[in-house]
Amino acid sequence: MNDSALLQDAVSRVFLDFYENDRLNKARRDGWCAELWAALEETGMTLISVPESAGGSGGSVVEAAEVIRLGGKYCASVPLAETALLAGWALAGAGIALPSGPLAFGIVGRPNQVELHRREGAWRFSGSMDHVPWARNASAIVLVIGSDADSKVICAPASTYQVERHANLAGEARDRIVFYEAKLEDAYVRATASITADRALQRGALARAVQMSGALDRILEMTTQYAKQRAQFGRPIIKFQAVQQELARLAGEAAIAKASAMAAAASVMADYRANTAVAFAKIKAGEAAQAGASIAHQLHGAIGVTDEYLLHHSTLRLWAWRSEYGSEAYWADRLGEYALSRGAATVWDEITGSVGDQK
Amino acid sequence: MLFDNTDFSSLELPKHVSELRREVRDFLDDERRQGSFRVHLGHGEFDAEFSRKIGSRGWIGITWPRKYGGHEGSYLERFVVTEELLAAAAPVAAHWVADRQSGPSLLRWGTDAQRQKYLPVIAKGECYFAIGMSEPNSGSDLASVRTRAEKVPDGWKLTGQKVWSSWAHRAHAMFVLCRTSPLGEKKHEGLSQFIVDLPSPGITIRPIRFLNNEHHFNEVFFDEAFVPDEMVLGEIGQGWRQVTSELALERSGPERYMNTLPLLLAVIDRLKTSPDRMARVMIGTLLARFASIRTMSLAIATQFSRETTPNLATEAALVKDIGTHFEREVTEAVKMLFEVTPAADSDDEFERLLGEATIFAPISTIRGGTTQILRGIVAKRLEGAV
Repeated sequence: MNDSALLQDAVSRVFLDFYENDRLNKARRDGWCAELWAALEETGMTLISVPESAGGSGGSVVEAAEVIRLGGKYCASVPLAETALLAGWALAGAGIALPSGPLAFGIVGRPNQVELHRREGAWRFSGSMDHVPWARNASAIVLVIGSDADSKVICAPASTYQVERHANLAGEARDRIVFYEAKLEDAYVRATASITADRALQRGALARAVQMSGALDRILEMTTQYAKQRAQFGRPIIKFQAVQQELARLAGEAAIAKASAMAAAASVMADYRANTAVAFAKIKAGEAAQAGASIAHQLHGAIGVTDEYLLHHSTLRLWAWRSEYGSEAYWADRLGEYALSRGAATVWDEITGSVGDQK
Repeated sequence: MLFDNTDFSSLELPKHVSELRREVRDFLDDERRQGSFRVHLGHGEFDAEFSRKIGSRGWIGITWPRKYGGHEGSYLERFVVTEELLAAAAPVAAHWVADRQSGPSLLRWGTDAQRQKYLPVIAKGECYFAIGMSEPNSGSDLASVRTRAEKVPDGWKLTGQKVWSSWAHRAHAMFVLCRTSPLGEKKHEGLSQFIVDLPSPGITIRPIRFLNNEHHFNEVFFDEAFVPDEMVLGEIGQGWRQVTSELALERSGPERYMNTLPLLLAVIDRLKTSPDRMARVMIGTLLARFASIRTMSLAIATQFSRETTPNLATEAALVKDIGTHFEREVTEAVKMLFEVTPAADSDDEFERLLGEATIFAPISTIRGGTTQILRGIVAKRLEGAV
């Protein structure tokens, strides 16, 4: 086994300990799984890809993506992507000290308007944000505001905002938070050119794309197992060609989502054509989520839509993640606008470009 | 369960491969400027002069040994050359089969004399091959072929009929899959491959006209056609293993998903001036699908450039299934975006491309393994994997 396989094997075991119906249902009620978070913290995975010099665990974006993908595969209700790939990245880039514990992450912009101003020698901010992942569980929220020259990273401790509990379709905490004249010392607000709202959105979309690809792997496994066990008309349903055809399509959706998601992770890591690669991945993963989940349910028949059966933990997440950090329509619109403003030759260049071509 | 050992996050092309791409692109731009070919979707045009130009630049037989006229390049070099030729819809039909199927088979199974005879001229773009596999009663069920080869002194006599042999009427040779021992319980046994020069006594080639009356398909009749012993390809009785050995590359290559890409690129330039939201979303979606399929295809080519014979036949089947359907999605999207009349005989390039894409649409999901067969292959692998 190579390093990457060893890492994946070790992480899978941690996730698998918490992958059973009672725990998943409890996580759905609570909005997260505190025990899983504690187990992950012990392994150092919660800060993977955050530089060691900034207090993280080191490792690459691709390695982080592999771990987050497995979290997606095993329905991990924890802010792993938010803490490592988003908040940890932003804090390290801005030179703000990393708080301990799980971190929430938010991108400020429409429709999340937070006003930032200075009063009595400190930063103050007011406003609200919706659908914030795991705000209720976090020790702090990291916010990224603005683009290019005027972007800022903010680290606001949990004591500075109020939380109204909400959840996504899968019961993962997606809270509304409200700041009212919250006061922050200068050390928690840093201007930085490299950490922008757009790059944050890119990383968020990458995280959801790899999570979706993990979930698709899982529903492919479940559906294949089910089709082998379930007998109708005197034989396992996998022996029926109509079932085989659909199962193969599901495998195709899982494979293509994984391909585009991991390729995007490499682009983000190399900071090369990352916007395009992430757009490809989020669009394709979203489409695959829809097509894959519907095949998985169809082949499971009625048992698949029951609370007692595990399938819904994955499919509900697929449906929820599809629209987080930009839906397919959002990314396709952006990508289409880019493509149409540049023309076919540039598009072909962009698709076939390789990291090594960088000038 | 599929692509388990594939690393999609390290698919960078080496610098010399990107440079090669640039070289091919410049060549194609020049050719187009000189009007040496026009964009044409479908089976590709048969253009021997163009094939010779491609051959003289070293873009046929890229991965083959130098002693057989090859260039000892990598599968990635082959991949980018193929991509650029297809993106430009260049007329590659003449040398296509010889370069991607017959040549590799000769290298793997052929004798030194057979390789010496064919490979250098194939690489020059001067020798073209046809395929003799399907028969009137053997389509997807290829192992049921009935064309038989009987042993005679110094060789074999072939009797039977092959169909769908593209460009056989202009090819210099073809591989013929025959039954050399009677159909037994194991139908994959007793099959053998023969190399037949064209034309030859006892062989009759007749056109099977495509639905638009064009002629590229043929039926080929063998009436006790003599083939000398030295033209047996590989081993007698090993025909099945030989014809299925190259499927991973054959089914995963860019030619499985790029046939309508020139149309998509043309649409992008046509929409440039007045894109509305629907156009942007549709174009963005198609590009994402294309790029993702390409990533899988490139990953397979990359694995071939790193290992000798990676076992990726199932993955390739999946790429072909998704890729060939993508080709049609492009055509349909264009019809949603424009009020345009598809017309294969139109002077307007856009109408013509759309016409060609529409007419050729049914073929890609049939040739080289039907959708249904491919999905069966994938399902079988899944069944064994969990």
